Amino acid sequence: MLDIAFVKPALPRHGALVLPLAEDAALAGLAQAIDAASGGAIARALAAANFKGRKGQSATLWAPALEGGAAGPARVVAIGLGKEAELTPEALEAAGGAALGLVQAEREAVVAAEALAPPLAAAFAMGLLLRSYRFDRYRTTEKEEDKPKLERVTVATEAGPAVKAAWAPLRAVAEGVFLSRDLVSEPPNILHPEEMAERCEALSKLGVEVEVLGPKEMRKLGMGALLGVAQGSAREPRLVVMQWNGAGGNGKGKKPAGKPVAFIGKGVTFDTGGISIKPAAGMEDMKWDMAGAGAVVGLMAALAGRRAKVDVVGLVGLVENMPSGEAQRPGDVVRTMSGQTVEVINTDAEGRLVLADVIHYCQERFEPRFMIDLATLTGAIIISLGNEHAGLFSNDDALAQQIAAAGKVVGEQVWRMPLAEAYDKQLKSDIADMKNVGGRPGGSITAAHFIQRFVSTKAGPMPWAHLDIAGVAWSTKDLPTVPKGATAFGVRLLDRLVADHYEG
Amino acid sequence: MLKVRLRRAPRGGDTPRAVPVAEGAGVPQPLRAAAEAARFTGGCGQRLDIPTPEGRVLLVGAGPARRPLDWERAGGTAAAGLAGVRRLALDARGLAPEAAAALAAGACLRAWRFGAYRTCDSPLLEKLDVLVDAPEAVAPHWERVSAGVRGCLLARDLTAEPGNRLTTRDFAARLEGLAEHGIAVDVLGRKRLQRAGMGGLLAVGGGSAHPPRLAVLRWRGSHAGPPVAFIGKGICFDTGGISIKPAQGMEAMRADMAGAAACAGAMLALALRRSPAPAVAVLALAENGIGAEAYRPGDVLRLAAGTTVEVVDTDAEGRLVLADALHYARRFRPQAMIDLATLTGAIVTALGAHRAGLFGTDAALLAQCAAAGEAVGEPLWPMPIGQRHREDLASDIADLKQCATGRLLPDACHAAAFLREFVGDTAWAHLDIAGVEMRATAAPLGPKGPSGFGARLLDALVAHYFEDVDRH
Repeated sequence: MLDIAFVKPALPRHGALVLPLAEDAALAGLAQAIDAASGGAIARALAAANFKGRKGQSATLWAPALEGGAAGPARVVAIGLGKEAELTPEALEAAGGAALGLVQAEREAVVAAEALAPPLAAAFAMGLLLRSYRFDRYRTTEKEEDKPKLERVTVATEAGPAVKAAWAPLRAVAEGVFLSRDLVSEPPNILHPEEMAERCEALSKLGVEVEVLGPKEMRKLGMGALLGVAQGSAREPRLVVMQWNGAGGNGKGKKPAGKPVAFIGKGVTFDTGGISIKPAAGMEDMKWDMAGAGAVVGLMAALAGRRAKVDVVGLVGLVENMPSGEAQRPGDVVRTMSGQTVEVINTDAEGRLVLADVIHYCQERFEPRFMIDLATLTGAIIISLGNEHAGLFSNDDALAQQIAAAGKVVGEQVWRMPLAEAYDKQLKSDIADMKNVGGRPGGSITAAHFIQRFVSTKAGPMPWAHLDIAGVAWSTKDLPTVPKGATAFGVRLLDRLVADHYEG
Repeated sequence: MLKVRLRRAPRGGDTPRAVPVAEGAGVPQPLRAAAEAARFTGGCGQRLDIPTPEGRVLLVGAGPARRPLDWERAGGTAAAGLAGVRRLALDARGLAPEAAAALAAGACLRAWRFGAYRTCDSPLLEKLDVLVDAPEAVAPHWERVSAGVRGCLLARDLTAEPGNRLTTRDFAARLEGLAEHGIAVDVLGRKRLQRAGMGGLLAVGGGSAHPPRLAVLRWRGSHAGPPVAFIGKGICFDTGGISIKPAQGMEAMRADMAGAAACAGAMLALALRRSPAPAVAVLALAENGIGAEAYRPGDVLRLAAGTTVEVVDTDAEGRLVLADALHYARRFRPQAMIDLATLTGAIVTALGAHRAGLFGTDAALLAQCAAAGEAVGEPLWPMPIGQRHREDLASDIADLKQCATGRLLPDACHAAAFLREFVGDTAWAHLDIAGVEMRATAAPLGPKGPSGFGARLLDALVAHYFEDVDRH
């Protein structure tokens, strides 16, 4: 991870100097200093490049000659921020992300952030950091010169303590995002349920209490749906329960102060579709069918990392969906932990089967304030919304609004989708309490209804939201703060949700 | 439509009498015992057939009986499954005039049947006696509500017609028939389409022996000021063109003109109830056929707006004809444009058969459309047009690609992003009604088959939001 530090302004003698500039802003601080040292060359070059500081604009000036032959930066990078009055943390993150690509060939970069308010300076650094993520564990022949070199970013600011205070929680969240991206990026022969459970256990270093349940315990609990999905694989399933009790103090060993909030993730470490096998083209993408679980693990790391004042449980159901002689078949009827029975029509609609048992277990054991599940659940949600919005389904308008608002702030957008009895009826089975699919029409909605059937209504309906992240968990192109690949969608959104409404 | 009479008392004889009962309101004596035995509680959709010495009585559930829609559904439930019955009495005595009118509307909607091509048929329900305390109080309500019903049924009649019976010319002729209600109808043929530069409509209609048409329907209303505009996709049959559809299920593509039919139905409704609001409907009629003149994937078209478009899939034809129609509609300087189209399979995947997709640029108009839809039982659900959706339409050769390529595409959103390019700054809403234009099974407000979705919605939209003179 990039080393990011906050220091008093001083002109760098090598590396890159980054100038985040608002529209038509006068050069100040380090920008003014280097302009003066270069005899006004910076201002002239920016004018020549028609750089006005507009959002999305950038200009690179190579090794400006300084008066007296003094040593200076190898490149000066100007980044447009847009109008001064409209500067938001999101805009600064995007600008920071854009800056990364222009400086990563240097070992060090200095960001001239004196003119930015502390939260904006921290946001710029966050953008740089988030965009710098790279998963290169399995590249053995990459040439040294092709690798990004950037190791250290120094943010020059007069308000050191304030920026550092704004930065500390962001850094913890970035750690969570990177952990989540690592998990999602790992190939399925490496990251199977047991391996992923082991990586969850590493969160105990942060004060998270981690329990891992294996097939024996799950059988005892009656998790027939989850076990049915897992039974075709040589890899044993796992259910990981992570608890962070930060409301009354600091994590491990503490008793929860009240009811926790709960996050549940679908963790199918590879999804062949099972007997209802998927077409070969694109099947490799199914390594990220555990992105919901990946987000929950990243979220727990983020919350614990920033010592969030909240009691939270994260549960992930980890299975591999494989065809084999042992695999479950279309037509099988399984009994879920809740006692409800399911006719499996399509073994490739396995995520909801896993979630059904995990959700039931979660509410039986923790009686949470609310439950939010994340899952790469349906292809239909991609056909519905594309790759910009996750599908949001909820039985609780207030919770849904909180989620939508948090998503907007961090750039992980959601779009509310409907629930209605007419869709629920599509799940009717001739032999069991329900089928696991409701047909093509409204395919994401019927999937959400399937899950909702396992949300407790004992003490009134438990507030619940379901995020179908199949379209947003993986990006096929670079985005401002997300390099192509695993996005960790959900980590920042839910961290923000907790920070805005459920802490303290 | 049923012949409806408002009467104070039953006619007697063997006419069955339907009695609506609100949930929990209690069943009148002497029918209570039967109701209890059959567990009839008045719930929506419940129906109980009781023989009595005075004749056959049907108890029908009105559910919560709060909104007119609840009474419409009760009326519809009453009119269902009456094999061999020609006349039905609907007992609305003691109910508010609005409720009585709604009951009758529901019965008329449910009793609709498309029998044009049945050469032998059992007798059908033809007449409806609505029993009311004061016919003169109910009559004005009925006049208003029945206009929307007749509009809806026109839309169904048109949608039900097979492709060989409702060619583009036939459709245009049927629309010209609306002139008798005071609607001005102008049909543009090939020459005028060429003059207007409608490269989209001409290309889509090029492969068929039946030439494309643009039908413009105008209702003057009594207000001065800009009209509200309805724009409808009227693909009389959609083979998919060169990007031909699979054979299985293709017969359903005769309904690919349901958007235009709904717009025509709405215009009829406005005219029948002499709406003060001026309105215009611009309906793009074409057959997407296969022929030597058919347009191809890869073709670049110049649309009426001047925009060039790269064709990717000839089966994404609806957005091309709508683009031209939307552009044409703007010449009327409408205060709002609402287009209806059976546009994409993607919206069926997204929302199924229970809601239509709602897209647009004007939050107020979108909220009004959604509210109108809820009121008449034609519900919508808002859908996004994101930045990425527009970016996906970047073309290497033209201003715009007609759709994106690849797997798992949000094509309904892409189509809406495409259409948005042609609406300028006019308030605009787009209703993707694929999936709701046909009922797979009977429902209280209609039998299996074409639903007429949109006609009553647009009528309600105008009634609620566009008839106030002081709107501007």
